[in-house]
Amino acid sequence: MTSPIPKSVTPASPVDQSLLYPSPYKEFWHAFAQNKGAVMGLAFMCLVVFCALFAPWVAPHDPSEQYRDFLLTPPVWLEGGTWQFILGTDELGRDLLSRLIQGARLSLLIGLSSVVMSLIPGILLGLLAGFFPNFIGPSIMRLMDVMLALPSLLLAVAIVAILGPGLINTVIAIAIVSLPSYVRLTRAAVMGELNRDYVTAARLAGASLPRLMFVTVLPNCMAPLIVQATLSFSSAILDAAALGFLGLGVQPPTPEWGTMLASARDYIERAWWVVSLPGLTILLSVLAINLMGDGLRDALDPKLKNAA
Amino acid sequence: MSLLQINNLNVRFGDAHAVPVVDGLDLAVDAGEILAIVGESGSGKSVTMMALMGLIDAPGRITADSLTFDGTDMLKLSGRQRRKVVGKDIAMVFQDPMTALNPSYTVGFQIEEVLRQHLGLKGKAARQRALELLKKVEIPAAESRLDAYPHQLSGGMSQRVAIAMAIAGEPKLLIADEPTTALDVTIQAQIMELLVNLQKERNMALILITHDLAVVAETARRVCVMYAGQAVEVGQVPELFDVPAHPYSEALLAAIPEHSIGAERLATLPGIVPGRYDRPDGCLLSPRCPYVQDNCRRQRPPLDPQAHSLVRCFYPLNQEVA
Amino acid sequence: MAVVLTARELTRHYEVSRGLFKGHALVRALNGVSFELEAGKTLAVVGESGCGKSTLARALTLIEEPSSGSLQIDGTEVKGASKSERKQLRRDVQMVFQSPYASLNPRQKIGDQLAEPLLINTSLSKAERREKVQKMMEQVGLRPEHYQRYPHMFSGGQRQRIALARAMMLQPKVLVADEPTSALDVSIQAQVLNLFMDLQKEFNTAYVFISHNLAVVRHVADQVLVMYLGRPAEMGPKADIYEKPLHPYTQALLSATPAIHPDPLKPKIRIAGELPNPLNPPDGCAFHKRCPYATERCGIEVPAFRQVGTRQVACHYAEQFL
Repeated sequence: MTSPIPKSVTPASPVDQSLLYPSPYKEFWHAFAQNKGAVMGLAFMCLVVFCALFAPWVAPHDPSEQYRDFLLTPPVWLEGGTWQFILGTDELGRDLLSRLIQGARLSLLIGLSSVVMSLIPGILLGLLAGFFPNFIGPSIMRLMDVMLALPSLLLAVAIVAILGPGLINTVIAIAIVSLPSYVRLTRAAVMGELNRDYVTAARLAGASLPRLMFVTVLPNCMAPLIVQATLSFSSAILDAAALGFLGLGVQPPTPEWGTMLASARDYIERAWWVVSLPGLTILLSVLAINLMGDGLRDALDPKLKNAA
Repeated sequence: MSLLQINNLNVRFGDAHAVPVVDGLDLAVDAGEILAIVGESGSGKSVTMMALMGLIDAPGRITADSLTFDGTDMLKLSGRQRRKVVGKDIAMVFQDPMTALNPSYTVGFQIEEVLRQHLGLKGKAARQRALELLKKVEIPAAESRLDAYPHQLSGGMSQRVAIAMAIAGEPKLLIADEPTTALDVTIQAQIMELLVNLQKERNMALILITHDLAVVAETARRVCVMYAGQAVEVGQVPELFDVPAHPYSEALLAAIPEHSIGAERLATLPGIVPGRYDRPDGCLLSPRCPYVQDNCRRQRPPLDPQAHSLVRCFYPLNQEVA
Repeated sequence: MAVVLTARELTRHYEVSRGLFKGHALVRALNGVSFELEAGKTLAVVGESGCGKSTLARALTLIEEPSSGSLQIDGTEVKGASKSERKQLRRDVQMVFQSPYASLNPRQKIGDQLAEPLLINTSLSKAERREKVQKMMEQVGLRPEHYQRYPHMFSGGQRQRIALARAMMLQPKVLVADEPTSALDVSIQAQVLNLFMDLQKEFNTAYVFISHNLAVVRHVADQVLVMYLGRPAEMGPKADIYEKPLHPYTQALLSATPAIHPDPLKPKIRIAGELPNPLNPPDGCAFHKRCPYATERCGIEVPAFRQVGTRQVACHYAEQFL
């Protein structure tokens, strides 16, 4: 004998789980903050950004002022150093610390603008390649393959050689060189998402092609792109430094970390700080950005979470 | 003496205060019997078996009063000792046959690997035994299938291969975790029949983990119903289905479309299984139970023997029925 | 009752390349399916993997164009429809998918996802859209606060409610539900199925309910269409099909479905083997190699889908099962 089956009873108000979840930003920050390296990287980059923004007020001296009496002064912790020039001076008597702070502006500017200049066309081309896999897609990808076949630094050198040295042309060269990776990433992500049911559902709702591309699919492809953008930032700084070192990038006397390295080549033995300190700054910045990128990737990846 | 004895098993992911995925589970399985563990997602049924097999990695922590298999304390085994038991005396068949097999190696290689590891067979002897096993699980054209790769097999075939690998070590206990959920209904019937025949033939104990009550009704002798990490009722089939004693068992049965033939609506329990954020202090079913009383919300009921089964409820149902 | 969906000999073929030097093979995923569906009624499409039900779903929702055959939605013929007609057709047919985890955009708030069909297809103001969305959310059992939330914050059952709400926003004439509850637990399935039935009553929508779970189908369907390898095997009123199935495949399906209270007197029909390769279907009746009643004629002549009593069957010997 069976007892009577209970009908649907008015519930004793079970707690609604979806309301207990923190907002996406809080969740992201919580996940990001778990990675100590990423947080340290973020902290260092905040310092760099601060220096860049407030360079004229933070720097103790004018970066281009030459103190003829203090050529090649060592940093303060070495014999012969003074507190007037904490990190010493270069071969023309300019304060190294001020030049490094001022150089942060340029490095950040180069990184940011080259990333933006290659991200936007990269995303557009990647979307087109993913949505039109029959003819447009392969054409775009073959073009990207050609670009990838050339060593990136040589390509950058070639572009700058054609356009001429200088800040803007450096940025253009770096942007062109990093374009293929964005296109590939976007295309791969798009093709992965196109098969998902929610895209079919959007089609069924009557979504037009632009809407499908930018509102439905693109936000779901951003995670790998953000990580790539962060890493490109650091390689942009390295590329700018390399171009500057070769004399093709930013021209002296503009303080840019790579150019500073180049002009100090001859003084490695006598005054190592003129070379090492800019080099160290580049190293730390790139490291910080890469650590941040790792943290971003780990925090953004498990995005497709289910309820507990 | 039971073949498998589990007392007060707790599995947590995280520190000692994290929510337990398995919460004080008691279970016993005798040699040669078929036990079904039934529950919905989040009930902890798969995690229990993974804990037994030692497949739970950090940050999972397992504590239990006892976890003995065939007299051996599974908690105290070293990695090497455990590898001798798992795969040989205890074997497992998983839900998705397409991912349970290694796609880079042939079927024959994978079965021979088990034979080599646990029975010490090599070369021709291993191949011969592998062929016998494939025939045992009723794979047609077994000879040619030995050299096939998993992607060349259908779902039903892959699951048969997985079963062959599981019985290769002549296990005393076979655990089947949702073995037919991913298969079509006619193939499901074939596979379930195969499992039951193998079990009878070899007098293996079979633990069948599933969410499908109908499969349980047709296959198992005893059934354990799990909810939110606890065993809420353990009883005999078909008595538990005819006269459920725990409100959750009753609700599960009521929700099956079979019980509402001709009715407009299906009977349902409101709400969902408690998750990370809202575990009740009292009985875990209390927020949803249609028969809830005040002290249900305050205390956790123990698992006690009743008329036909062990029930975790202060007010078990159907107790007057003989 | 008005007929809202008419399918005549719907067929869909795919060309599959078999490598560099062999020619193209033809996969007849859908091979001549015809039916009529009235408003407010449910046609259940039943079959195992490879039977063509997903292809049928894609053809009915206008995602793919059929290779041949005609499809009429609310009187409008799909083939050769003008642009404005197509726009209206788009509004008339919607779909609910199997996986609750894949059918919602992870990066869009669910309120926005529910408002999207209105945004694209109507000229309602933002406030009007929001009001309609809130109303629909309430109908499916969601709270107003849920508007701002993202899909990953909801359980599987809640996501299916959201998916159903989104499909019903435009009040379509036909809703195609592709295994909507297969991924859900039994008790959640009951809640969602009740919701399906409630909404059907409210909006008088015709449902095409695709499922392999015969127990669920028995609860929701008015008519049942059983498919095998792209062809219809049997179609008729639900009660007739379940009481007395005429096609041997239907008989086998029903027999293979496990039951909570198994009837020991009911004979178990076990069919051997697996689904034939769609690239190389057998001659004559597609089922004849596995059919326990097959004769020589079955291997030569394709049975016509003909009227037998209250239903249609594709079997030469259907009469003998009456």
